[in-house]
Amino acid sequence: MEYWEFHVGRADRRQRALLVGSAVFVGLVIAATLISKGSTGFQWIVSGITVGSIYALIAMGFSVIYSSTRVINFAQGEFSMLGGMLMYSLSTRGGLPPWLGFIFSVLIVTAIGAALERLTIHPMRDQSVITIIIITIGIAIALRAVAKWIWGTDPVKIASFSGDSPIRFLGAAVVPQSFWVFGFAIVVVILVFLFFNRTLLGKGMRAAATNSDAASLVGVSSSTSSLIAWTIAAAVGAAAGIVIAPINFAGYNFGIMLGLKGFTAAVLGGLGSAPGAVVGGLVLGVLETITAGVFPSGYKDAVAFLILILVLLIRPQGLLGRAEDVKV
Amino acid sequence: MSDPMKAGKTALGGGKEYRTLLIFAVAVFIVPAWATFIPGDVLHMDIVNIMVFAGIYSCVVIGLNLLVGYAGQISLGHAAFFGVGAYTTAILCTRFSWFPTWLGVLAGVLLAGAIGWLVGVPVLRLKGHYLAMATLGLGEIAFILFTQLKWLTGGTIGVPQGLNVSVAEIPSLSVFGFRFDTDIKFFFLAWGIVVLLMLLNINIIKSRVGRGLRALHSSEVAADAMGVDTARYKTRVFVLSAMFAGLGGALFAHFQRYINPESFVFSVSILFITMVVVGGMGNLWGGIVGVIVLTFLPSVIQALPQWIPGIPESLTNFSNYSLVLYGILLILFMMFMPQGIAAGLSRGLAFTQKRGRRLRDRFEARKYEGH
Amino acid sequence: MAEERLLEIDNVTKLFGGLAALKEVSFTVSPGEIKAIIGPNGAGKTTLFDVLTGILRPTSGTVLLKGQGTVGLRPDQITAMGMIRTFQTIKLFEGMTVLENAMVGCHSRTGSGFLATGLRLPASRREEARIHEEAMGVLKDVGLERRALEVGTNLPYGQQRMLELARALASRPEILLLDEPAAGLNQYETGELSALLSRFRERGITILIVEHDMGLVMDISDEVVVLDYGEVIARGAPEVVQNDPKVIEAYLGIEAD
Ligand SMILES: Nc1ncnc2c1ncn2[C@@H]1O[C@H](COP(=O)(O)OP(=O)(O)OP(=O)(O)O)[C@@H](O)[C@H]1O
Ligand SMILES: [Mg+2]
Repeated sequence: MEYWEFHVGRADRRQRALLVGSAVFVGLVIAATLISKGSTGFQWIVSGITVGSIYALIAMGFSVIYSSTRVINFAQGEFSMLGGMLMYSLSTRGGLPPWLGFIFSVLIVTAIGAALERLTIHPMRDQSVITIIIITIGIAIALRAVAKWIWGTDPVKIASFSGDSPIRFLGAAVVPQSFWVFGFAIVVVILVFLFFNRTLLGKGMRAAATNSDAASLVGVSSSTSSLIAWTIAAAVGAAAGIVIAPINFAGYNFGIMLGLKGFTAAVLGGLGSAPGAVVGGLVLGVLETITAGVFPSGYKDAVAFLILILVLLIRPQGLLGRAEDVKV
Repeated sequence: MSDPMKAGKTALGGGKEYRTLLIFAVAVFIVPAWATFIPGDVLHMDIVNIMVFAGIYSCVVIGLNLLVGYAGQISLGHAAFFGVGAYTTAILCTRFSWFPTWLGVLAGVLLAGAIGWLVGVPVLRLKGHYLAMATLGLGEIAFILFTQLKWLTGGTIGVPQGLNVSVAEIPSLSVFGFRFDTDIKFFFLAWGIVVLLMLLNINIIKSRVGRGLRALHSSEVAADAMGVDTARYKTRVFVLSAMFAGLGGALFAHFQRYINPESFVFSVSILFITMVVVGGMGNLWGGIVGVIVLTFLPSVIQALPQWIPGIPESLTNFSNYSLVLYGILLILFMMFMPQGIAAGLSRGLAFTQKRGRRLRDRFEARKYEGH
Repeated sequence: MAEERLLEIDNVTKLFGGLAALKEVSFTVSPGEIKAIIGPNGAGKTTLFDVLTGILRPTSGTVLLKGQGTVGLRPDQITAMGMIRTFQTIKLFEGMTVLENAMVGCHSRTGSGFLATGLRLPASRREEARIHEEAMGVLKDVGLERRALEVGTNLPYGQQRMLELARALASRPEILLLDEPAAGLNQYETGELSALLSRFRERGITILIVEHDMGLVMDISDEVVVLDYGEVIARGAPEVVQNDPKVIEAYLGIEAD
């Protein structure tokens, strides 16, 4: 594969300036919001952090597959959608205790993810990027359509894990589920980070993405690596979908938005970097809620896409990522 | 063996392709002749009407195939350009009742091209997955704008109902006083345009520019090194495909007579890509074949129970599973038939020709033996 | 004796992260000469070509082609100035015929765009005929004219290398950069290649060649530059370089690994 990454190669100094600049920008936006809106502004920021944790969680799914196979899975958001919808069927409607519903939902989605990898991605692993993109898009819309068939078009509500009475915190109201999301995001990020940086298997999988010879020395073939990555990504995605469903609702068509936002968070923080996903998610979440407060809320989603496109163009390796040179 | 010198020369003129185009044009233009004489309850579908939509979509998909199939640059947001073309002419022709409709179409094409250029110059620096995501994002931004800029686009209600204008619908297209206000008239307009676009398409592909695009698809580094200005080629082909999409959109607006954002959502972009994939990426005829197959598919499925008794009615509600079908088609075609239906057709054609020739040879040989 | 210079490479350094693929490389190429670059695997030879042709931007240093700086120019601009390359790993255009591959090589000397070709303006038709003729010409030069209508990537390996050569030749280069053109060729094919390169030289084409086949290098080159770990460690006439202890060490050092 050639020109695989992107044209980079600017001076390190400029990159640092950009990084500091964007940090200052985000800081200023937050400060301005706090000063001009007072406690309402603080409320926005707190909600932004919750939303940002959601994006960070979904970004992890992208990162896992990208780190080990250099594929972007356009169906990643659909795994979260399926997780939420299954949870609804199993627990909210089916009466399973929530923890059991959680486990079963995650298992089912994980199995689906693994099966899809074996059936569609694995046979096509040597094909061009465009082929893989189109296949994962095919998976995404097929999953979405199946969900519409099964669950219909109305969004569904799932009970919160620990009640709905908001907790007051410095004048802002926070629903308890926010803490679940936040905590869950932190746990997942740490686990994924440790997996890829501390375990032999994880390191081998990362190596498999760029150099299959080196990886096979560690005993990981790029084929197993891809399967494991899809399995993990499906599991993480499904779990994320379940944890956020009580806040976000769940619906057959929620996958694409979640996917896009998660991808934006991943790119913003540096695709493939676990800490980057958290930073990217939080920045995106906060900016988005503030925009939604200041501008007509219909434009909320446009912010994410604008950020996505700007980051891709200005700093494709993300805020925390490292520049890679053109590989010929 | 044919002589390379000569064969090259005819390829240069695109001789064979022009002949195919001629045959194709004749075959399409006689469709209304037989379609209108078959009583409606035999086919259970309005062929001419469906063909008009196929013609409109063909404009978009021919351009998209140039971009995706030939130049290898994916766009998941082409519904945006389709929408820009449609909204431009729709808004102009309803706000200003004196505005010539053909000028509206032209404005739509040009605006789509201009936006394509503005967006394409930066975005096409991205490759692969990044380009896909960026175009997807742009498509979504366009959709948000179509819905949110209510003063301009009429919001979710659309043009003209969502606008405070006196006309009840988008005026029909008229050129030099001739009104394309029936299905039949519009059929000839749309497919006449498609034939012209195909001519343009063939000429480009069978030339220096076409070779540059294919080279850049195969290996950007090698194309660069051989002297192809890949950045400029990418922008140009993106703009061209945006203009084709804008043209399709403008025709769409004047045919349907009202528009709203629903016609320009993400799944429409995906539908366009599916048409390219099913028809054949990088095949001259791929775009049109894909469009015709996928535009007729819903009506064929709906008509199935009438043709073949015993098929459950529930199967016929196409909107229920159109997306599943598109998704599965995308996967299956990429996996098992990456060259699409058009390539299969031409291979089949070549096969029967060879068969025919062999039969004739054998016949001649027999005759000779008989002497 | 003030030598005329076609290509001047001055202090070129290329860093990949921490790794210096090229360290302050300097040398010049005079018109009409055949210069060889040799060096063990990973010495930076291909990287040097990537820098020269504008695919990679050097971290520092300058490159002058016919007195004009090329750093920062796009690859196609450099090609249009008369310098073109072949690739170590063959990069023929997939799905294109032998003839079409060669025709792409004419790109830098032709100019019809979307509008001219789309409308088949007379100028573009004339140009198209000229491209066709010239492409057939270079195919004849390398002996591939009878395979013109076959798909390029379906040719046997040796002929694919020849096609890469023809494609580059179609740009009418003043200087040709060849990255291991004899790799994978059998002895007979290497002999033909050698004869072909001599013929190019007679036509006035300057050649910079990266090659592991020492026989070929000895055979055709006027001067040899030796790269090791991105640095020029020796240069001079082929026989002299061959016996340079530093060069022997560089190669043995690698072989001992
Ligand atoms: N895009 C890149 N990113 C990072 N390192 C690279 C890149 N391209 C080359 N390198 C490294 O630069 C060094 C020089 O590589 P180069 O391909 O130029 O060697 P070479 O002399 O052509 O070797 P060979 O004889 O094997 O072709 C190698 O260590 C290689 O791993
Ligand atoms: Mg090399």
